[in-house]
Amino acid sequence: MCEQNYAIEVDNLKVRYKCLNKISIKKSLMSLKKSNVEVFEAVRGVSFKIPQGQIMGVVGKNGSGKSTMLKAIAGIFAADEGTINLHNHSVSLLSIGVGFDKRLTGRENIFLSGLLLGFTEDKIKEKLNEIIEFSELGEFIDRPVKTYSSGMYSKLAFSITAILETEIMLLDEVLSVGDAKFKKKSYKKMKSLIENSDRTVIIVSHSSETLKKLCDTILWLHEGKVKMIGPIDEVLPLYDEFMS
Amino acid sequence: MRRFVEDIKKYKNYIVYSSKSQLKSEIANSHLSWLWWILDPLLFMLVYSFIALVVFGKGEKYFPIFVFIGLNCWQFFEKSVKQSVKLVNANKQIVSKVYIPKYILILIKMGFNGFKMLVSFSLVVLLMIIWRVPVSLNILYIIPVFAVLIVVTFGFSTFMLHFGVFVEDLSNVITVVLKLVFYMTGIFYSITSRVPQPYSSLLLKFNPVALIVEDLRRCMIYDSVPHRTALLVWFIAGSILSVLGIKIIYKYENSYVKVM
Repeated sequence: MCEQNYAIEVDNLKVRYKCLNKISIKKSLMSLKKSNVEVFEAVRGVSFKIPQGQIMGVVGKNGSGKSTMLKAIAGIFAADEGTINLHNHSVSLLSIGVGFDKRLTGRENIFLSGLLLGFTEDKIKEKLNEIIEFSELGEFIDRPVKTYSSGMYSKLAFSITAILETEIMLLDEVLSVGDAKFKKKSYKKMKSLIENSDRTVIIVSHSSETLKKLCDTILWLHEGKVKMIGPIDEVLPLYDEFMS
Repeated sequence: MRRFVEDIKKYKNYIVYSSKSQLKSEIANSHLSWLWWILDPLLFMLVYSFIALVVFGKGEKYFPIFVFIGLNCWQFFEKSVKQSVKLVNANKQIVSKVYIPKYILILIKMGFNGFKMLVSFSLVVLLMIIWRVPVSLNILYIIPVFAVLIVVTFGFSTFMLHFGVFVEDLSNVITVVLKLVFYMTGIFYSITSRVPQPYSSLLLKFNPVALIVEDLRRCMIYDSVPHRTALLVWFIAGSILSVLGIKIIYKYENSYVKVM
């Protein structure tokens, strides 16, 4: 096998949800014998490899396990079977407004969110101005986040995650934020982030348009399994046909 | 364990920053702001003083300080343990979006509650000066006593955090149990002089908070030596609890999100 630099290697990944939900003490006293636990397998053995610097789109209908897979790669879920090897790259699930405290100012929330995502304080300070500028919040940055409009809130959140970059980015439908002008700007920023040749990206989206513009390859998930994986021109037309 | 040390190093800044922000955001909206951190135990001290001095007519030497020490310790322990039960759920927004070792959330809460405890302990010191309580080098024992308090609190909290995710009504049970432990801790009475033997020594042996409170009073206001062996035993017990708790959390934390 030729030596290629893979950033992400996923092998036979399976993630199950046990429907044990929560137990109440009364219930467990009433039925001392173990109740049957319903197991739902959301991802049923997915394998793929992504070379460093590639951008992969993930498509599939609702409930086909796309988000679950992303969460497993980001380390939020444990894989029940199979392995995920990220080769020690830093990874972030680009998610909006993680760890925000609405009673604090925007500036404080930048630090809070950044530290949570694993950046050092110096690195955040260094990028602080860039984030504030990009978010177009102006003097609102020093007001509590609860006074923000929902558009301002997502602009700030997007700016934080877009400017504090990691080596592997996982995107789950986040490309539409704010008003038309900001949307264009964020799309452009996204594109420049994604096109950085060192960065490996996985995008989950329902919009074939976006995927066509951004991705190199497409992974099509169907009911937790890989239905197809390959270049855009091969997979997307078939997918569109399947969906219509 | 090595993973624990590395994670602590990695998230150290976040713990500090997040505790600070929680403190800030708590006072952001109240008129008396940080004064509440002093007012709250002060008012409770008056309530318990009323019960003990007026209703039962039984006080202790330096009674307000006596109650204050007990109350501050107790509130730190109680709040940390109680909040741990619902902690994962309360931080759903974070937990379901990034990976974070879940006991970090406990440490943040303990930092938050610990700072409040420090603030109200400054009031204890002030009262000690006003009453001219004689102190000697015995007061240095407060350092190991606080260490025991922290370790024991953390140990219990890890277990609460874990089981709180899976058991819906744990918080109801814990509320009652903590209330019971509260009365068994001797916040507004002295276990040694009011509880008959053998119960008093049993309480001091098996209720770590009672032991800690009693020993803090001994070295802070009664100028004597704490129960050194019992403290050491609880320090070890607390450490074992913490290690087990951390192991359990590491093992199961990735399925917490699936339960919610």
